[in-house]
Amino acid sequence: MKQGTGLRIYAIAYLIFLYLPVALLPIFAFNDGTVIAFPLQGFTTKWFVELLSIDALHGAVRNSLFVAITTAILSTIFGIFAARASSRYRFPLKGGILGLIMVPLVLPEIIVGVALLVMVVSLMGLSLSLWTVVLGHTLICTPFAVAILSASFNGLDRSLEEAAIDLGETAMGAFFKVTLPLVTPGIVSALLISFTISLDEFIIAFFLTGSEPTLPVYLWGQLRFPQRIPVVMALGTILVILSLVLLTVAEFFRRRGVRRTGAKDTGGFL
Amino acid sequence: MKDPLIVLDQVQKYYDDYHALRGISCEIGKGEFFSLLGPSGCGKTTLLRTIAGFEDVSSGRVLIGGRDMADVPANLRPTNMVFQSYAIFPHLDVAGNVGFGLRKRSDLSAEQKKAKVIEALEMVGLAGYGKRPAHALSGGQRQRVALARALVLEPEVLLLDEPLSALDKKMREQMQTELRRLQRHVGITFILVTHDQEEALIMSDRIAVMFEGEIAQLAAPQTLYRRPASRKVAEFIGVMNFLSATSTVSGDSVALDIAGLGKVTLSTEQCPGGAPSGAAVAGLRPETLSVVIDDATATPSHSVTGKVVEVVYYGDMTYYEVALDGAQKPVTISMKNLPGRRVLEIGDTAKVAWDPSALVIFAA
Amino acid sequence: MRLPKGEAASGLLLVSPPLVYAVLLLAVPLGSIVLLSLWTQNFLTFDTTLTLANYAEAFTDPLYRTLMLRSLAISGSVTLATVLFAFPIAYFVSFHVAPERKALWIFLITIPFWTSYLLRVFAWKVILGFNGVLNTSLLGLGIIDEPLTFILYNANAVVITLAHAYAPFTILPIYVALEKIDRSLLEASRDLGENALVTFLRVTLPLAMPGVVAATLIVFIPTVGDYVTPVLVGGPDGRMIANMIQIQFLQLNDAPMGSALAISAMTIVAAISLLFLFLMRGFLKERA
Repeated sequence: MKQGTGLRIYAIAYLIFLYLPVALLPIFAFNDGTVIAFPLQGFTTKWFVELLSIDALHGAVRNSLFVAITTAILSTIFGIFAARASSRYRFPLKGGILGLIMVPLVLPEIIVGVALLVMVVSLMGLSLSLWTVVLGHTLICTPFAVAILSASFNGLDRSLEEAAIDLGETAMGAFFKVTLPLVTPGIVSALLISFTISLDEFIIAFFLTGSEPTLPVYLWGQLRFPQRIPVVMALGTILVILSLVLLTVAEFFRRRGVRRTGAKDTGGFL
Repeated sequence: MKDPLIVLDQVQKYYDDYHALRGISCEIGKGEFFSLLGPSGCGKTTLLRTIAGFEDVSSGRVLIGGRDMADVPANLRPTNMVFQSYAIFPHLDVAGNVGFGLRKRSDLSAEQKKAKVIEALEMVGLAGYGKRPAHALSGGQRQRVALARALVLEPEVLLLDEPLSALDKKMREQMQTELRRLQRHVGITFILVTHDQEEALIMSDRIAVMFEGEIAQLAAPQTLYRRPASRKVAEFIGVMNFLSATSTVSGDSVALDIAGLGKVTLSTEQCPGGAPSGAAVAGLRPETLSVVIDDATATPSHSVTGKVVEVVYYGDMTYYEVALDGAQKPVTISMKNLPGRRVLEIGDTAKVAWDPSALVIFAA
Repeated sequence: MRLPKGEAASGLLLVSPPLVYAVLLLAVPLGSIVLLSLWTQNFLTFDTTLTLANYAEAFTDPLYRTLMLRSLAISGSVTLATVLFAFPIAYFVSFHVAPERKALWIFLITIPFWTSYLLRVFAWKVILGFNGVLNTSLLGLGIIDEPLTFILYNANAVVITLAHAYAPFTILPIYVALEKIDRSLLEASRDLGENALVTFLRVTLPLAMPGVVAATLIVFIPTVGDYVTPVLVGGPDGRMIANMIQIQFLQLNDAPMGSALAISAMTIVAAISLLFLFLMRGFLKERA
């Protein structure tokens, strides 16, 4: 296949283009020089060591972990409610209601950021904190959780729950003994994806963060200082590896879920 | 019926404006193999789910063992179900599936439960499959697990929702005999939902034929086939030729003039839907007609002549379409291909023998 | 147990927690910026007289207009570039990759999207900069004599960076649309006498259009409001409307003007998207 070969070369070039910026992070994270340019100056791990001594960074990591974990739990719970309702029940205005819940997926994040800022600060007179960031992040992560969990719930044969009831379980018992175990991979996957999105999200956090910055907000501040760049690269390397691990685990659980319910694998998170 | 196990009394079911069950009344006996037969959308699955407790009735009553089921939820009814998709729990192995409903039985010890699971698996021919994960089962095995899972709870009624529709033809035929054997073995009531008339005829003690939310006829297989109560039932079960006729009723005899066959007088028993006066339709199954080939058979009491317009050769059988003098449509006749019997060709003149006792008369 | 009426009630009850959340934290805030955009900032307080003055300014002030038009132009270019470059990849994975390896390819394509957006944009600054990776490499190899300057701190840099950031978002919907195409349709076309190219144009492409339309909107809508990329790699000539919205809110302390700009941008984007969907309606009809 001649046509296939041409496309394959193009595809590989495209993958290189996709990975090029990400690949630079580890390269310069281990480079023994403050200027980010070729040729490389030699191998060092000092930027990683330096990370250990920055207190502000540790605070930011703690803040981000708090925000990301809280967001992941809240969005996944909301996701379970919405996905179960959408896959199992018919109710009035269903399309509109689910549409509203999914809207943040296509809304520019800056709109979400300023709208929440206006409501919280200008109209309600509350002060910003990590919780206001959690509010914003939960809003944008919920649609992802709904999408993942809907796939899990829809993949379930509805007669499985009926079979459990037929064999003597109550409706509640059937949900906990049959449905929940079968959507657990979806739940884990939704938790991990929401966590990853929240951990990386910058613009909403930028608008809604108070005196305690999240990690991306802290990073944003550091990008202005050229001498801090190698440390940022080291931090970036760690974040990329962390994201990779989380995603691989999420994908593993998603596929296991697909296999378990016997549904067809449609691939990807979308 | 004396002591029916299940009584359906004027069961109505509405989904918003849709009238799914239109006043179903019938009785199902203990140990009976009962089938609900009908085309898709006739309400047969809804009726089964009403008995199981997955749908509630809009009005009317469902009684099992004399007890009104109105306030009894599905999990507490003495019924168990084999689902169309089998609904094998994918996160449990075979033993986990079969033992699922036993977990709540506090009167049994763990060993007794285990023994029951093993016994149930033996009964359906899956001895030794306990540790097999659900996803490693074939279609036929899934169905056996579903059967064992329901039967291990010793229900009074086993409900089967199109249990054979997902299997291939050979497997289906094997399971039909096996289900019948199993039902005789356990001796409980089976209620089968199916759209396959042949399957219903093979397996059932009695069949309720349903159309559009109503029972059109409830009878034993032979009665249903030989004496269908309406044209619609006759058309749904097997093949039937219809010839227009005029009828005159006097007492318990009916005088008929049938297009293509001529005049004949029958008993009103041959009008299961009631004896019609005036315009009528006479029904004949293809195997009750025969083509007299080379005058080989003894001279029939009733015969007419016609012209062969189509011949379909099936190997064991030959189907003829024969245009009878005076009939509007050709009739279908099935003939066994006995040794030495010639197959006619299109255009041949055929002598068609018929038997008045095989006729069924409907209102036009 | 479950009358249709009961089913509706159960469904609504179940969906109510996320619904209430979306109403309180999405509908109400969006409503409040609409309201705020009709007020005016009076030093530290709001003048709550309703007026369209902010909108008049948003559409007439040359600075706002330039930023808005530039945002749309940049988004449009990014969308065009991502869709054009992504289509062959989606096509390749769908038609030329063995079925058991498709999931791996899709996973590989999606991964970079999930790594920190901030760091990916920053990496482009490092690549494209005056002393950046690209210039130092090209100088080192003797291909150029002086660093290239047209690639950083302008609209080009913004387009390149955003096109990179949104690449997976375009590939996935197109891939899904291509996967749905019944392969026998293509054989039928060949059987009816069309060559491979015409088959692609007459069968594959029209059937893939729903994916292309989805990809276009998925990229166009959020990129108009992008903030990070213009700041890091855009320079003064690459600034976009989101930067102005941020300045109004956090630096000039004129929330009503910022709200008016945000609402205007959203309305324009929504209008363009709807127009686009209207033009593409022929491709989106349900096919039997």
